[in-house]
Amino acid sequence: MSIHNSLGTGAASRPGARFSNPRIRALIRKEVWHIMRDWQTLLIVLAMPVFMMFLYGYALDVNINDVEVMVEDPSPTPETAQLIRAIDHSSLFKVKGVVNSVGNPDDIFKKRHVKALFRLSPSFTRDLLRPGSPASIQVLIDGSDQNLGTVLRNVTEPFLQKTTLSLLNVPVPVTIDVRQTILYNPQQKSALYFVPGLMVIILMMISALLTSLTITREKEQGSLEQMLVSPIRPAEILIGKIAPYVVLAAIDGALILLVGYFVFGVSISGSLTLLSVASLIYIFAALSLGLLISTISKKQEHAMLIVLPATVLPTVLLSGFIFPIASLPVWLQLLSMAIPATYFLEIIRGIILKGVGLAELWRPMLVLGSMGLFLLAVSVRKFRVKA
Amino acid sequence: MNYSIETNDLTKKFGPYTAVDHINVGVQAGEIFGFLGANGAGKTTAIRMLCGLLTPTSGSGHVAGFDIMKETAKIRTRIGYMSQKFSLYPDLVVRDNLKLFGSLYGLNKRDLAARMDEMSAFLGLTDLLPRITGSLPWGWQQRLSLACANLHKPQILFLDEPTGSVDPVSRRNFWDLIQLLSAQGTTIFVTTHHMDEAEYCHRISIMISGKIAAMDSPQALKKKHNCETLLEAFLAIVEGGNR
Repeated sequence: MSIHNSLGTGAASRPGARFSNPRIRALIRKEVWHIMRDWQTLLIVLAMPVFMMFLYGYALDVNINDVEVMVEDPSPTPETAQLIRAIDHSSLFKVKGVVNSVGNPDDIFKKRHVKALFRLSPSFTRDLLRPGSPASIQVLIDGSDQNLGTVLRNVTEPFLQKTTLSLLNVPVPVTIDVRQTILYNPQQKSALYFVPGLMVIILMMISALLTSLTITREKEQGSLEQMLVSPIRPAEILIGKIAPYVVLAAIDGALILLVGYFVFGVSISGSLTLLSVASLIYIFAALSLGLLISTISKKQEHAMLIVLPATVLPTVLLSGFIFPIASLPVWLQLLSMAIPATYFLEIIRGIILKGVGLAELWRPMLVLGSMGLFLLAVSVRKFRVKA
Repeated sequence: MNYSIETNDLTKKFGPYTAVDHINVGVQAGEIFGFLGANGAGKTTAIRMLCGLLTPTSGSGHVAGFDIMKETAKIRTRIGYMSQKFSLYPDLVVRDNLKLFGSLYGLNKRDLAARMDEMSAFLGLTDLLPRITGSLPWGWQQRLSLACANLHKPQILFLDEPTGSVDPVSRRNFWDLIQLLSAQGTTIFVTTHHMDEAEYCHRISIMISGKIAAMDSPQALKKKHNCETLLEAFLAIVEGGNR
């Protein structure tokens, strides 16, 4: 209901009393008929979020396990065998093979699908047992997968140090005692990361795409013109057209949260009511963006081509879902501040993971609401202007 | 004299191009007024200005007594508009299209039901009400458009090339209905480039590159140009205008 009110006052320069409800109701009814008749689209709209969740849920695992490696051990001894066993038994690595000499390491990476090659020096055992001379291991890492390469570079050295010391029964020397505690997502479950992110992406996609398509379709058919010669006002047309999609997007949002809870065990630490209100504000902003796109595109194809780079891509790349905003170049950081998704991601992560409330979140919510109102005002203006 | 539609030097420019160039027309209530001209002569632009879909560049106009610049809201409740393109919803059934457009014009449930019965009987659409609109033949879709434009009993009907690609029999039937509506007092403002349709009009105006080159009854135009048919008269005027 709150969405309707804010739309009403936002769309008209005078209060909501200007709107004649039977006309809007008739338009909403018609839009629902369209949606019901076009059951294939409806099915996609409802099934896509669930499908994407399963895809992300099982494919996107940021934790690294059992990376396949090769070991070159030119002079095997009980000590090197012990070390290789320890590498293999660790959760990080899985030893695919031990060879005496690899010849050209390039061949190993090209022919065998290993991500790293550990080359023990020929004097490894001797150096290890003799104090004062460090035993050396050369580690070659496959950098073609940049993400994995970075992780391997960071973990391999401390891992080998620790493993070797414990083989020698030497206690790990303590210089600084660092104790890390991960808050809000202690098990680092990826579901807690992608459920809020998907909510941000899917609501944007559904809202912006569907509204821009439904309005450009009316343009193409000429039915928009037929409506514009009738007594219905432009703002009434817009409300009648988008109200059903607010409901549809809200259903999608609920679906994501339900699948998140029952399948991936993501529960909401904060207030569900606050989350719903924030989601409706976000849907409103996204719908207004869709409206704006529909006012500048004459055909459905145009709308589709604009929606992808203008809404979906920034939402995925710049909202902080995939890349932390702080690590973006300054001009992209500024851009990320201009998109609704950034604020909604902050809100939804705050509510789901940290359980924060309105006291901490009123600012992004206000920004989101203002963005929606601004976009709506611009689109109503553009919509009203006659050629 | 009180005209149903009246324009004074109505002009529309798109950048350097003048689509409608100082036209002056006066259409009486109940008259069938034909707007003839080649494609691109400015007929559709003129009709769109009168319906409030386009803002004139200069000049003035009144429709049903209201200013087309300032009182478009009042005009909208009093006119019906049928564009050259079929512009109802093909995926809805006939009844739903009628219901929607009736509601947009503010008809309440009872009036709407009564008007729907009346219009579908008048246009012979009654059996087609439960059919999907897109599955109807062209001629019937045009009749449905007319029904939707006429549900709220407009004083004036604007028809922009209403029978574009309709077969001759359907076209004939369509014009019988138009003449009936005119007899009941509805003003009809129609654009066309079919000469046989122009014959049905009480008066026609012929537009050449945005200007009105001639305006009179079909009979008077034929007489004036010494022609047997309206087509010959039309060609004489158009060629005269282009020379």
